[in-house]
Amino acid sequence: MADMNRKIQELLSDYAGALRDGCLPVFLQSLTRQEGRELTSSRDFWEAAEVVRVLNGVGFADKAAIADAGLFASRVDANIASRLKKAKSSPRPRRTNGARSMTKTQKTEKPI
Amino acid sequence: MGKISVTYCEVNAFLYKGGSFCVVGILPAIRGRDALERYDGSNRRLMNKRLRNAMKGLTAPDVDRRRRAMEPFVRETFQVFIRYLYRYLGNEVECEDVLEDVYADIWENPNRLRDVESERQLLRTVYLYYMRKRLREVYRRMNRHLYLSQNDLTNLTAPELGLLDTMSQSELKQALGRAMGRLKARERRAIELWLQGMSVRAIANELKTTVGAVKMLKFRTILKLKEMMSEYCHEE
Repeated sequence: MADMNRKIQELLSDYAGALRDGCLPVFLQSLTRQEGRELTSSRDFWEAAEVVRVLNGVGFADKAAIADAGLFASRVDANIASRLKKAKSSPRPRRTNGARSMTKTQKTEKPI
Repeated sequence: MGKISVTYCEVNAFLYKGGSFCVVGILPAIRGRDALERYDGSNRRLMNKRLRNAMKGLTAPDVDRRRRAMEPFVRETFQVFIRYLYRYLGNEVECEDVLEDVYADIWENPNRLRDVESERQLLRTVYLYYMRKRLREVYRRMNRHLYLSQNDLTNLTAPELGLLDTMSQSELKQALGRAMGRLKARERRAIELWLQGMSVRAIANELKTTVGAVKMLKFRTILKLKEMMSEYCHEE
């Protein structure tokens, strides 16, 4: 039976394509067990992947439809507000310094 | 293809396209440098004043002051950070989601940014201590369905900082321009066509060869580029 697994150069090409098109999960899901093993053992792939990322940044990042910084700042502020709200509403942490409230027996004990 | 009499630096700004050289806008980017940088007499990269002021407020102990300082900080750094993230994700929506959490993490725990002095240091610190953690989480849930080890998945989506990762966008453009100038015409053409957004099949048609040959050519050229750009890094 013919070997259907992709070679390293094909894997790199597909990785580069997936990164360029913004669909990395599709590439990750397409990997077979054998291809996964091949990636792990190939030093060339990891070196080339670094350049592919650089090419992606240099060649396509400028063309990407990036949001307005002012609008994004308000999105970040909303995220911070939500974290603040969560922090306020979460229950207080338990005291861990060993100080405990009086036990039931101590409370009912009569002074001599 | 005729000879052109320009300086070596200017050659970097030209890329071979359709049988002739044409300007693709790299040179202005090199001359303009990155928006966050300014240079002192010793050519040391420093941060611009507005960013420095924004960062002062960022490390304040008061929560509300820190929150107010986030807006100028986001305005100053957003373009640089999102382009940096784009290298790893290639998807604007995911980049924005990750970056939103990164900024909120910075607001929550800005201690790592206390001693940052230059733009390069800022980018490096933000990547190592804030972005990387969030990048790892993007595809973590997929892991149970993949034939890829957790380690490899991490290396693919949020790698250790390599030599090229520490360079700014303008430096990378410069290094890439120089390296492209040293490639063979066919290799350069393959990379340029790919950078124009063409598929491997379309590149194969353009170069009048097979899909397999283009994949091999691209792989070898990319390794060559890596070597050349690393040399450039060491020279710098």
